[in-house]
Amino acid sequence: MSYYFAIIGTQDNPLFEHEFGTSKQGGDGQARFGDQARHLNQFVLHSSLDIVEEVQWTTGQLYLKVIDKFFTSYISCFMTGGNVKFLLLHQPNATASAPAAGTPGAASTSSASRSSTAVGANPTSPQTEEAIKNFFYEVYDNYVKAIMNPFYKANMEIKSPVFRQRVAAAGRKYL
Amino acid sequence: MQAPDDAHLTRDPAVQPLPPAASAVRLTKARQSLASDTHPLAQSEASLPHVPAVTVPIRERRHTPSAAAASLFRSTLTPPASRSASPTPSSLSASSLRSPTLSPSAMTSTTTLPLAGSVFGSLTSGAAASKAQSLVDSAAADNPGDPLGLLLRSFVPHIAVHASDDADGLARDKGFAGGLWELLCPFGERVQGRVVVRDSNGAARSWDGFAVRFVRFGEGIEDPEVSANGQRAAAMIGRQGSASERMLPQVEAVVERHLRFAEEAYVGSPPSPSATPTREGLDDAHATSPYYALYLRRLLSGIPLSSHESFAHPVACVMAISSRNPAPIDALQRLYRETTSQGGRGLPPWVDGDYLRYYVLVHDEENGDITKSMALFDQMKRHFGLHCHLLRLRSTQSAETDDDSIPLPRSDWMTAAEELADIEASDARGDDFEDPTRYIFESDATAIRTFVREMVAQSVVPTMERNVSVWNDQVASRRRGISGRFMSLSKRWTAFGSSSRSGSAGSSGSGSSSNYDAAGFYRADSPEAIMRRLADYAFMLRDWKLAMSTYDLLRTDFQNDRAWKYHAAANEMCALALLIMPQNMSSRTRLETITQMLEQAVYSYHIRCGSLYGAVRCILLALELLRLRDGSGIDEAVRWGVRMLESRMTGPVGEALLRERLAVCYASKFGAGSQAWGSRRRKSALWSVLAAESWVAQAKYVQAQRCLAAARRMYALLPGECGVQSFCAASDFLAHLHERIKMGLAPEVISGQGSTFLGGASGGGQQMQGAGEHVVDEESETLGGKRSRRASLIGPPAGGGAGIETAPLSNMQSAGASRGEGMRDDGFG
Repeated sequence: MSYYFAIIGTQDNPLFEHEFGTSKQGGDGQARFGDQARHLNQFVLHSSLDIVEEVQWTTGQLYLKVIDKFFTSYISCFMTGGNVKFLLLHQPNATASAPAAGTPGAASTSSASRSSTAVGANPTSPQTEEAIKNFFYEVYDNYVKAIMNPFYKANMEIKSPVFRQRVAAAGRKYL
Repeated sequence: MQAPDDAHLTRDPAVQPLPPAASAVRLTKARQSLASDTHPLAQSEASLPHVPAVTVPIRERRHTPSAAAASLFRSTLTPPASRSASPTPSSLSASSLRSPTLSPSAMTSTTTLPLAGSVFGSLTSGAAASKAQSLVDSAAADNPGDPLGLLLRSFVPHIAVHASDDADGLARDKGFAGGLWELLCPFGERVQGRVVVRDSNGAARSWDGFAVRFVRFGEGIEDPEVSANGQRAAAMIGRQGSASERMLPQVEAVVERHLRFAEEAYVGSPPSPSATPTREGLDDAHATSPYYALYLRRLLSGIPLSSHESFAHPVACVMAISSRNPAPIDALQRLYRETTSQGGRGLPPWVDGDYLRYYVLVHDEENGDITKSMALFDQMKRHFGLHCHLLRLRSTQSAETDDDSIPLPRSDWMTAAEELADIEASDARGDDFEDPTRYIFESDATAIRTFVREMVAQSVVPTMERNVSVWNDQVASRRRGISGRFMSLSKRWTAFGSSSRSGSAGSSGSGSSSNYDAAGFYRADSPEAIMRRLADYAFMLRDWKLAMSTYDLLRTDFQNDRAWKYHAAANEMCALALLIMPQNMSSRTRLETITQMLEQAVYSYHIRCGSLYGAVRCILLALELLRLRDGSGIDEAVRWGVRMLESRMTGPVGEALLRERLAVCYASKFGAGSQAWGSRRRKSALWSVLAAESWVAQAKYVQAQRCLAAARRMYALLPGECGVQSFCAASDFLAHLHERIKMGLAPEVISGQGSTFLGGASGGGQQMQGAGEHVVDEESETLGGKRSRRASLIGPPAGGGAGIETAPLSNMQSAGASRGEGMRDDGFG
């Protein structure tokens, strides 16, 4: 399971990007995206903003759950009050995917065989949803603190190393 | 080169007889036609042939490697802008629909003949201007943006042609090596005038552009798989031998040849601004690439004569002799015997042998005696009844220089195998390959047109109508009543299932519970086969409701019999008929029902039968029809497309085309409000980028360039107008892609410098600028002239590090910053 987390500003501009892997089931916390997947993830994440814009009006919640799917990549979304979006792309069993042509998911031998209750094994399971929700809320707390910085202006990139550490910690903790 | 002239001309008011609104009107019509209750098809049909897209003569447009061979690739060389392509709301498209090469006279003739639309008909008036225009060009332009037209033209009655040697010899004298069949073939694609069809309720409706397909008798037969029920799937997965499974690779190969030709033509042309591929299809974001249209057309032409569907089964058979025959009546009787099962060339037992026989006497105008032929014709009528025709043809070959000669196009619906053979033949002969366009006398064309019209309107269609009503009364209606339901239920319990069925329709089944033969087919006289034929006939006669309900009955039957290929085909057609039917039906026709049917069809085709051809055809047609249903239909369409990509049903060409198509699908979803919420512009751009990537991987740079331009257009439409440029990896990738396309498009310029260009703005880069300048310049126009800065020409900076500089509020101010700025303004990404 690999994750690519991005905070997207109001102009479709990324404010913060972070890649990490799962730390559950003995994962080492490293992302296992292929070479191709690096730019592809960004494209996919960007394209799912279309869906975000549609789904955000259908619910009063900030957490929109899994909103989009691109081959084996699933995208969860969390809206903040300021129209800044948290997007998390999660890809089960990343090693099997991301072949050369940029079409991940030729054969998604899902990791479901290992343990169906594991977080992330089934991206749409309630457990996974809950875990991602917790992750989002923790990041949101830190995000709010980060943007309280008087030198921070809207749509500015977040470069605080402390924030990055805390996002990484949240990832380790929940995902 | 002509393109600047083209652009100029298309905007010339004099050549703009069409008010800008007209295209929009046509558009909405085409869309609503699905929804309208009364005449679901009539309107869209009427809108179809309005603008026969005219092929721009290739020789003018480009210096091609071999000008003569270009005619082989005509179908894709037409620039998309000149196609009567899918509806765009932009007013520009109204003018761009007009092909610039049309002379004013031809223009009026095409506009005043909108409905008779048969280019066939208008030929007489505009023959002089139509040298470049083929008989069936309007059909050639039929675009997947109008899937209904495509469906109507592909699932058409098949008429077998069985000619005696002397009749074939006469056609050969005229220069048609394939005999009479080859001569007739192009004329079946559009029957002149309107054809009146009565549906099952007796309501008459007349259709324009009715088509039939002429096939050689007894060709393309695909035997059903012979294996026991349980092992079928396993046995078939490894098999690639059957006709339909060979077809996918052939289709791919044909499209690949077309692409390669376009690529060579581009490279061979001198670098000039007009030749940049971005020029084409500039206003028309929704226009499909001609290659996708070709792909679909080749996929749908040459439906194999298979047991699980009866579209390719002959509805009628033309038995032709010529006046040269010494013993004409005997010859006709011999021909008849040959088409029955007793003859050596009979059709397999799953084809109904009771189709219409149509007897044709081909009279040789130049050598024959007309009084003798008339006498013989009278005799024929006495012997064989009313289904006879006297076809008067001249027996000499017509040359281009003859006064009354008109070009006969290559058939638009030729099968992939045939086209491949043609292309290979032209390759083999090299440069001295003569123009394959053949000419026939206008009088011959008129005679054949009349013949086809008479046969279709007076014999074929009435016969089909009669069969539909007879089968509907005798077989299908029994199944619809309450007892019919009981019967289908009872079939599951063998005990009394067989007894009830033997009473209903003389079944010739294997004696067990089902009619499904052990050899893997239903015999032609089993009720299931008859009902399938009924449904197919109804579908071909455009009686969607009857077709749908019959397919629906068959689905369960086939499932109970575990006849999976039949099951798949019935599900496929049922879903398609449902999609074609007016939308405001009961809740039963909701998307879920359709989805479920498609699901079953694809699963049966792909997994149970290993028939990739069936699965691909099913998905592509469903995708096109779903796309027309706005809203969730588009998402659904894309879901099917993604599924097809996921299971890797097609080769690389098909995959790239499909990616392009998904981009178009998403682009056709419009959002609400000023922010266009609910639109799918980013998604569309993503798929365009993916398509460009796979075109680059196949070294098809012209197509790649086009896709990339489409992606840029989409990104520029976004509210922020910045696309993915602030994502560094993504914008790097775009820049890299752009580089590769540039290098691919101008190989002769940089062949010396090679890859040094990527290294930095060295000498190679300077040279490249010359070539690249035009490209980028064109693109800036593409973006509505918002950015015409020459500064943007420099292109992405060395190493593709643009994203770093363009990241917001970055403090990295390197020397390349100005370039980064240039790139941003360039609308990159």
